[in-house]
Amino acid sequence: MRSFGIEFVPMELFWKTTYYAVQAEHLGYDSIWITDHFNNRNVYVSLAVTANYTEKIRLGPGVTNPYLIHPVMTAQSVASLNEIASGRVICGIGAGDRTTLDMVGTEMEAPLRTVRESVEIIRRQIAREKGEYNGKMFRTSAGARFNFKVNDAIPIYIGAQGPKMLRLAGEIGDGTLINASHPDDIERAVKQIRRGAERGGRSFEELDIAAYTSFSVASSEKKARKPVVPVVAYIVAGSPPTVLERHDIPQEKADGIRKDLADRNWGEAFGAVDEAMIDAFAICGTPEQCIEKIEGLFKTGITHFVTGSPLGPNVRSAINLFGLEVLPHFKSE
Amino acid sequence: MTNILIELRKIRISGVEMGYREFAKSIPATMRELLAERLMDVMLEAKDGSRVPSSLAKTILFYWQREQLSSEAGLTNLLEAVSYADPDRAFTVMESLGIEELRLAFRSTS
Repeated sequence: MRSFGIEFVPMELFWKTTYYAVQAEHLGYDSIWITDHFNNRNVYVSLAVTANYTEKIRLGPGVTNPYLIHPVMTAQSVASLNEIASGRVICGIGAGDRTTLDMVGTEMEAPLRTVRESVEIIRRQIAREKGEYNGKMFRTSAGARFNFKVNDAIPIYIGAQGPKMLRLAGEIGDGTLINASHPDDIERAVKQIRRGAERGGRSFEELDIAAYTSFSVASSEKKARKPVVPVVAYIVAGSPPTVLERHDIPQEKADGIRKDLADRNWGEAFGAVDEAMIDAFAICGTPEQCIEKIEGLFKTGITHFVTGSPLGPNVRSAINLFGLEVLPHFKSE
Repeated sequence: MTNILIELRKIRISGVEMGYREFAKSIPATMRELLAERLMDVMLEAKDGSRVPSSLAKTILFYWQREQLSSEAGLTNLLEAVSYADPDRAFTVMESLGIEELRLAFRSTS
């Protein structure tokens, strides 16, 4: 089954993000993912408000990270959210964004181990498991259990881009959020997830594999391409060397963009983004062009397509365009 | 329109909460959908959106969730909200929709 999600970055007033979320639900989207960055509005406040005004759509952080938010707090947050949006909560977690972590002097230490232990802790907390947890990165005592019950399953999606994290996602995640937009990257990612599922003795078919794309739709291709530039700058800055190499992007160029972003030199950072980078890291165009590109992604084995930011030059119009002109093409199949 | 929205706000503050409702009532049913759409654009694109009181923003979300922003009650709240968010642009929208006569009609009743 194919599902369609939408990502919101809570940079705007809470009621604007919620308005768009309700709009997405009306149009038949299946999931809402709200990003978790300390410099935007709080993800769980945004999710709680969104949960209040929606009925069916699934929703959760997309993605939080265990370096800034301890996994017991993530578990507590999604479990609490489940009381407002019973059975609709999903939890996206990843190693985080290197650029943002750098800003607060936090090192991305042992990301695989950290994410693995975080997923284990979140599951233990939600299940109110007894006993202590002694990991290499985290530990909890026997007394760290919730004082309340969680009545629904909360699927955990692992945000991943590099091969090792993708394999980990296949091994332990309920789903994966593949942080990529290019079909070659997605195809490679799906293979890694499959390997991870085999390593974990799990059925690949049980996993929900989402392409978490940088997306922009508009009435013309030119209008759609412009807003993706800042997002692509962040993606290039945070991409591992293997991904940069695959798209012939010099490491020093990515390093330069990362430094400019950290120094808030937006003009320099965004000016360094070229057409090839946009093609490598975003899906953008008219509704017809987007349909063709999304079709290509589903052929790689994904089951879920997420329209990530910027969505389009005008968010409301972009959600309408996608919901009215792209979504029906897939939902009617 | 800026003036009338400010006037309306004053009316509301002084406790007579009929201003926006009467105005919404005077809008022809055939025009309500389009007006609600355009006013929502004004809201979403407003630079001063934070001036909209959170209680009013939540009321608008309530009507939006039920797809009733173009109802009389929905429009009443939208009109009030745009008077905080961007009254000048709201005025332009109403002018472009030919609602000037309604504005005058409202003025004569207030």
